[in-house]
Amino acid sequence: MALACPRCGTQNPDGNLYCQACGAPLAAAAAAPPAMAGPPPGTPPPGPPAGLPPPAAGPTGYQSPYYAPTGPEVQVHRTPWTLIIAGVVALLVLMAGCGTALAIIGNRNPSNTSGGGIADLPSPTPAGGTPSPVASPTATPLGATTDSNDGVTVKVPAGWTVASKDNESIILTDPNSEGSVTLASGPSSPTQTAQQNKDTIDGYFKSKYPDTRNCAGSTTSNGTFNGAPGISWTLCFTLTSGANSIQAAASLFVGANSSGNVYYIVMLVTRQDNLQNYLTESKPVLQSVHWKLS
Amino acid sequence: MRENHLGFPSYISLILRAVRCDHCANDVPDGVFCTRCGAHQGKTAEPAAAKARVNRYAAHPAEHVVQPSIFTTLFPHLGHTKIHEFRWAFAVGLAGILVLYIAGLITAAILVAIFLVPVLYLIYLYEAQVYRDEPAIVLGFTIGGGAVIGIVVTVIERIVYNPYQGIGNPLHGAGIGVGALLFLGLLVPVVQEVLKPLPALFLPNRADFPETVDGLVFGIAAGLGFSVAESLVAFSSALTSLPAHLTPGNWIYDLTTLAVFQPLLQGSATGMVVAAVWRYRRGRLASREIGGVAVAVIAHVAFALGTQLFKDAQLSPLFVLVWQAVVVGAVLIYVRYLLHHALLEEAAHMGFAETVCPNCHMHIVASGFCPNCGGALTAAPAALKRARKPRAEAPTKART
Repeated sequence: MALACPRCGTQNPDGNLYCQACGAPLAAAAAAPPAMAGPPPGTPPPGPPAGLPPPAAGPTGYQSPYYAPTGPEVQVHRTPWTLIIAGVVALLVLMAGCGTALAIIGNRNPSNTSGGGIADLPSPTPAGGTPSPVASPTATPLGATTDSNDGVTVKVPAGWTVASKDNESIILTDPNSEGSVTLASGPSSPTQTAQQNKDTIDGYFKSKYPDTRNCAGSTTSNGTFNGAPGISWTLCFTLTSGANSIQAAASLFVGANSSGNVYYIVMLVTRQDNLQNYLTESKPVLQSVHWKLS
Repeated sequence: MRENHLGFPSYISLILRAVRCDHCANDVPDGVFCTRCGAHQGKTAEPAAAKARVNRYAAHPAEHVVQPSIFTTLFPHLGHTKIHEFRWAFAVGLAGILVLYIAGLITAAILVAIFLVPVLYLIYLYEAQVYRDEPAIVLGFTIGGGAVIGIVVTVIERIVYNPYQGIGNPLHGAGIGVGALLFLGLLVPVVQEVLKPLPALFLPNRADFPETVDGLVFGIAAGLGFSVAESLVAFSSALTSLPAHLTPGNWIYDLTTLAVFQPLLQGSATGMVVAAVWRYRRGRLASREIGGVAVAVIAHVAFALGTQLFKDAQLSPLFVLVWQAVVVGAVLIYVRYLLHHALLEEAAHMGFAETVCPNCHMHIVASGFCPNCGGALTAAPAALKRARKPRAEAPTKART
């Protein structure tokens, strides 16, 4: 039968005279057989011989049955519990102050996310126009190559690289790795409207990045992108990946064909304060997009 | 003063009877535990393998070895009472992070989360005085060295890896390419596990700290220094550009990883690698130690790879936290297993002395283990070790 310590509640094996966790005497131990314990049950710890100072009681006031110390009591702990808690509270207060100050200082320059989105760059046409997913004719930049998959063809300007590619999507990065441009198109099953695709994308970002929201000053608008009808909008979020945690902005366009069985995505991601510059820098890429599916 | 056959003053003979340990056959003072080998001397409530005592973790005998307890594993010098104080302090810190999160002060919450465990560890190092008389060298090399390596490694990682391309096609949930997955989930953890222990391994005065528990603590300190630097560099952009107040969103998941699982993983994995090397230096390299290094590396890879994969698969963030908790719990258990056996072996070689048990605070005459609670005395704080009053060796004749 286990013996519960009256002081700390630790369950002690049968036969223990003293709690193995805190050293407090176990009330029921007096009835236990004395074979496994130090002192005989009920025997008070002996005092020191004449001429020696009386033994010091332990920190909790009881007397060790194993040894009666004769010298000065050894200090078991150095740090009072109040100091430990105070250390953590001080950390909280200090870091809360530093964090707030950092945030205030860091936000003196507002992020540059307002203004036009992706759909404003190529040759936007008003909503309600006839969908014609055919690329606007653009001049090929010097040194550019062309890349394509089942859904899209795009010009890759000199210095830009194809970071990844599969049947439906192509991801391009700029020469300075300041962001990425994702182009994707493929069949939708089941069929999805542009609005449903937008809702899916919003859910994706919100589940993946902690604070996804529409960027301040940005608008959501209907239009076409190189012939594909859809919706454009801008999301702001903290992009956490690997050793990076970036205040990022994604300028998005998502569309669907009239029957909803084909989707179109254009996504441009960069730092929030760099979005407008990056849109301009990506203009040759965006204007060269040619959707293959209609 | 006349001494008895144990070498103690005669009046002590009234309470110090000698018995012969059933397990190591040494003559030791009567007690619940053998002070030489740590085996339980009782006949009930104890399995046959009393000497291995897996249900009595050497640093804290009230706990089983297979128990993923944070504080009794990573703060092995703390006694029963002190452990609770550190647990409360940790709870206060976590509550503070929660309050900051709810208040929308995410920048502040990130900072507290990054520093909470390392600050507690600094207080622990002060409490246990593991560094003895050389705090500057030990802390500088372990925590400081870990932090420097953390900055270098993380900055290089940021240069090499472009996070923008990892978003992929949001309609198909294809978040990350295989190359990026291997880089973040395999290469980076392995490189980190190779580099993090270096500050502790090259500690100039390491010969003054021969015990495995010292190596473990130094390794944990280096790992926590690394963790602080890694998190600060990784979140530097967020720290300097997040608004002072914003909608909390699901930041709580990242904050939990930052405050709990990230530092615990980095600290315990590095501690285990350093402890294994410490054992090797003592000529004790066996499958247990090699397994420790392997577990540290595999656990770190599993942590990083799993986190990345589950996030990309758009599983619930709660599932990611559960995965991280499982991995960290497994590492903690292996750390306990390694430390438990190291303490059992190393404490067996200590001489008899008057001392105070760091766990139950009982005044005892013992060699390696407290005869009352069975705690290994090699895991005692430096102040207690200094105050040991060596006595003559074990008795020559046992009580029958």
